[in-house]
Amino acid sequence: MAKVQVLNVAVLDNPSPFGNPFQFEITFECMEDLPEDLEWKIIYVGSAESEEYDQTLDSVLVGPVPAGRHMFVFQADAPNTGLIPESDAVGVTVVLITCTYRGQEFIRIGYYVNNEYTDPELRENPPLKPDYTQLQRNILASNPRVTRFHINWEGSADRMEDSENVDPAPNISGMLPPSCIPGKVPPLGLMPDNSMDCM
Amino acid sequence: MKLLKPSWVSHNGKPIFSVDIHPDGTKFATGGQGEDSGKVMIWNMAPVLREEDEKNENIPKMLCQMDNHLACVNCVRWSNNGLYLASGGDDKLVMVWKRAAFIGPSTVFGSSSKLANVEQWRCVTILRNHTGDVMDVAWSPHDVWLASCSVDNTIVIWNARKFPEMVTCLRGHTGLVKGLTWDPVGKYIASQADDHSLKVWRTMDWQLETNITKPFSECGGTTHVLRLSWSPDGQYLVSAHAMNNSGPTAQIVERDGWKTNMDFVGHRKAVTVVKFNPKIFKKKQKNGGSPKPSCPYCCCAVGSKDRSLSVWLTSLKRPLVVIHDLFDKSIMDISWTLTGLGILVCSMDGTVAYLDFSLDELGDPLNEEEKNTIHQNIYGKSLAITSTEAQLSTTIIENPEMLKYQQERQNAAQAGSGPGGAGLESTAPKLNSVMNGESLEDIRKNLLKKQVETRTADGRRRITPLCIAQLDTGDFSPALFNSVPILPGSSMPSQLTPQLSSDSSQGQASSLGLRPSHDTLLTSPPPSSSTKGLEDNKDGQSPTHVKQSLLLTSASKIEPMKALDSRFTERSKATPGVTAVISSTAGLTPLDSRAKDGSSILKDVKNKEETSSDSEDKMAAINKNLSFTKRKADLLMDGGEVVEKRKKGRPRKDKMATPISQPFTQVETEGPSRAAATPAPVAALKLPTPSIQKAFSLQVSMEPSVFLEVENDVSVVAGSKLSQLRCSRDGREWDTLLPSSVVTAAGSSDVIAVACEDRMLSVFSSCGRRLLPAIQLATPMSALHCSSHFVMALTAGARLSVWDVQKQTALVKNESLLTIMSGADTTVSQSLLTQQGVPVIGLSSGKSYCFNSSLETWTLIADKGDSLVQCADFRSCLPSHDAPVSSGPLAVMQGRNLNAGRLASRLSSTPHHLQQSMTLAFLENQLAAALTLLSAQEYRYWLLIYARFLVNEGSEYRLRELCKELLGPVHKSAATAWEPTTLGLRKRELLRELLPVIGQNLRFQRLFTEYQEQLELLRNK
Repeated sequence: MAKVQVLNVAVLDNPSPFGNPFQFEITFECMEDLPEDLEWKIIYVGSAESEEYDQTLDSVLVGPVPAGRHMFVFQADAPNTGLIPESDAVGVTVVLITCTYRGQEFIRIGYYVNNEYTDPELRENPPLKPDYTQLQRNILASNPRVTRFHINWEGSADRMEDSENVDPAPNISGMLPPSCIPGKVPPLGLMPDNSMDCM
Repeated sequence: MKLLKPSWVSHNGKPIFSVDIHPDGTKFATGGQGEDSGKVMIWNMAPVLREEDEKNENIPKMLCQMDNHLACVNCVRWSNNGLYLASGGDDKLVMVWKRAAFIGPSTVFGSSSKLANVEQWRCVTILRNHTGDVMDVAWSPHDVWLASCSVDNTIVIWNARKFPEMVTCLRGHTGLVKGLTWDPVGKYIASQADDHSLKVWRTMDWQLETNITKPFSECGGTTHVLRLSWSPDGQYLVSAHAMNNSGPTAQIVERDGWKTNMDFVGHRKAVTVVKFNPKIFKKKQKNGGSPKPSCPYCCCAVGSKDRSLSVWLTSLKRPLVVIHDLFDKSIMDISWTLTGLGILVCSMDGTVAYLDFSLDELGDPLNEEEKNTIHQNIYGKSLAITSTEAQLSTTIIENPEMLKYQQERQNAAQAGSGPGGAGLESTAPKLNSVMNGESLEDIRKNLLKKQVETRTADGRRRITPLCIAQLDTGDFSPALFNSVPILPGSSMPSQLTPQLSSDSSQGQASSLGLRPSHDTLLTSPPPSSSTKGLEDNKDGQSPTHVKQSLLLTSASKIEPMKALDSRFTERSKATPGVTAVISSTAGLTPLDSRAKDGSSILKDVKNKEETSSDSEDKMAAINKNLSFTKRKADLLMDGGEVVEKRKKGRPRKDKMATPISQPFTQVETEGPSRAAATPAPVAALKLPTPSIQKAFSLQVSMEPSVFLEVENDVSVVAGSKLSQLRCSRDGREWDTLLPSSVVTAAGSSDVIAVACEDRMLSVFSSCGRRLLPAIQLATPMSALHCSSHFVMALTAGARLSVWDVQKQTALVKNESLLTIMSGADTTVSQSLLTQQGVPVIGLSSGKSYCFNSSLETWTLIADKGDSLVQCADFRSCLPSHDAPVSSGPLAVMQGRNLNAGRLASRLSSTPHHLQQSMTLAFLENQLAAALTLLSAQEYRYWLLIYARFLVNEGSEYRLRELCKELLGPVHKSAATAWEPTTLGLRKRELLRELLPVIGQNLRFQRLFTEYQEQLELLRNK
């Protein structure tokens, strides 16, 4: 039984210029006092092609966590543009928020992010080298993809085998902006084959 | 009869193993298999009952789902009060759920909106003990216990007031236990297992009452569950799967002699579940027909593996109705509505059916009163306490205010209101309180700026999350009241102080051994030489020896003392810092008993002490241990005025804890100390007196902090020795000189009193001004207390005086304790003075008296041996929110007695009417005691409990008299003796507080209306 339930994540400062920091207001509930901190991470997927372009924007410890309902704002700097393949700068990608307890990830929240030029001129004729100052980042806040994992809350020992993958909106292509190519979208869930509806 | 299968009640096609309707009838729970876990779901009842509600999109159908069970849920059961839901599953766990009051509807984050949980139910406790699948759970009547049974062949009884405490584990079945049912009277619990037996266990001692095997011997095959049921009148127990002549039956077991002569026959396959209608019925009177008195009867539903359901009336030979092919698979569970007219049935095929009966079909349900009459007739006790709400559900509410209280009560009972979001308003304040009135929006705006962010040692960011709502984890807080075994007086050290002058209450961490010495209680005077020797050697004991002797003594204690002593020993070994507790417990313990037992070990103690070495620096550490031993020694000597020679200045501890303020420093004395040499006057009684020390100090008040220091013989002027009294109050000091040695001193924030060797009592103001001329006492001072502006003196001649320094009058004039100390060996074990100037004397006999100056008599306020205390059961009347008043003088004197009703928890050990009378008598005693102690807070506390008890028990006459007294005459008349206040509490305000309590029982609505209107009238005047 998960001791921590994420109740809500509000995406703040959205849409915003590409260079602005990410801000997520996270509300979670804890069943009982946690002896150790929770570790939250924001991971920016630089390219759908390979995990090697994933950037951990920041990780933060959250604690102490007594039983109750809590909230905090997780702010992390924008991704290092130098690490993003130029071909992937514009278009749809993903930002992930993960939370681990005693080194075990128990929730992963994914958002699609659409980066595009606001200027119609640039949109028509994007420069070869992406102009990040002109890019706008739009996080599709209404469609978080939540994956939950059973972990061993009592100790950091071996991770429990069964995992529960909550994938509430099976119609993936429906949520994508029409402009993007479905094949390019990186997978959000870890184990899509295990995916099921919440019911 | 109407039949309905609400298709929307489903676990996505997975089996539903259990169903239970909430006592208030607004919702029901189902339990079964989830996707990859067990699943508990809570559903709204309204869409089942009414078609228009079913069609209304705005009325939620599913209220909450919980996936917390790791494996299939076999049973869900609501507690009788509707506050909790218990679920048991294949994951070997029992989970207890409670509605989270502060949370409104919310969606599961990341899921589509349709899955919104309208209500939030939170697992408040997980009960782990079973080593196999839990098959059935059942709440006892009154929700005292929760029972669970398992395929591990055991039944576990849990303490439902103190989860996760286990009361006992019933062993005896040799097969999977698959069903449980409590006797509605509370005397038994019955279980049925795969081992071809049905066992009935007594709740009194949790032993087997009977083991029924014959009807089950032929039972082959297995059913998933064997849910048996007890009839509401308690007379019949009906089993699940039994066999008669190779045919499956439900066996009827009579309570009287556990006879098994009858059964329900007709199902083609094994009976899985039997469920009695909670109502008892009588034949419906036909209009115009002659009202023939007919026997009341019960109604029972039987579900079977053959997928059919039969409903029986015990008055008919054939079933009322049999429904075949209701399901595709075996019936798993049945639940009746509390009205007795509706029934929900669930099946392994994952569907649920609802049957609606009419009164014409079943008959007229008896109201609770009639049901209670039946119980009363059969068992001599009624179950009125629990069932008032059900009983009155049909009564018409005549008064809007009454309606309000009824509704409030319902809301409170359900921790919010029924389905839908209406619960939000009532829960909003809770949320606000956490956030200091700031709205969530305000908080969110500034959260980033406001939140605390630090860096850990390794440079990582660490955010302290903002807590926006606390979990209501105090769910079982009523248990707090019972949880700590309250030892005599142990409630004292933590709280109080301001209320009392008794210093055993001052939770200072000073040790007992540092107290000014007092001679021990004595009824026969002088000491023997051997005791002197013992005394002389006291100073130099090494800790080990002391411990040994302590262990020795505790081992030789008589039984009732054991708990206390072992605790004491443990504590004193482990943590010397906890003496505050010990001092008071020790002080209040009647000591006589151990004198006899302890005498045999006198020599041991003595020997050890004599061989011990002087180790001055260790002394501080061992003082606590020491004091205990000394106490023993004092006692063994039968008191006696011990002359302390060769003293290093550590005074003997006073065994009676005549609560003189605790000294917190120790000053070295030199030379032989004097004996309290004043010859005892000719009196039948003699109380111990403190002996004189060279110097001592004590704290008399915490707020403001006042310290007293006394140094005797500071200087010799013209042949007479002077003593100095120094007082420091919040840092400011004053001192004064006295012509004689100070024996004892006491003080409050207002006055300081000192008693001298020459039997003079001097009283000073907090600034050092002498307030009274020196008072000459007839005999030496035994105990001196100050509280507020009162001074109490208890002299060695067993006479008591109390003065009001402000008014300069005597409240109690040299009153003899002879009246109360008539018993042979009675000694004073405690004395104190309340803030209101009421003197209280606790005796070793366990009785406590106070002197009522207006009645000019001694009045009994507490008696530890009082059997009423043991048997009074008013727990159901305890306020759920307020902590018990533990700081008042009454609570202090009664100590553990506040834990009343310990024995009463054995529900059926005393007949109900007897227990009722005992409780009533006890509560009235408490009220009278609080009144005579002038303890307003406690008076109010007990008055509310008393009123609640009267309301629950339906004692209208008493309740009416109480209201009348509180209301007083409505019209002013010259000759009225009615006082508008009692103990400074306005009586009509008290009545106003009582009204909501009265309003909770519909039976009293006339009374409620009457007094509510009169109060309104008076207010408008």
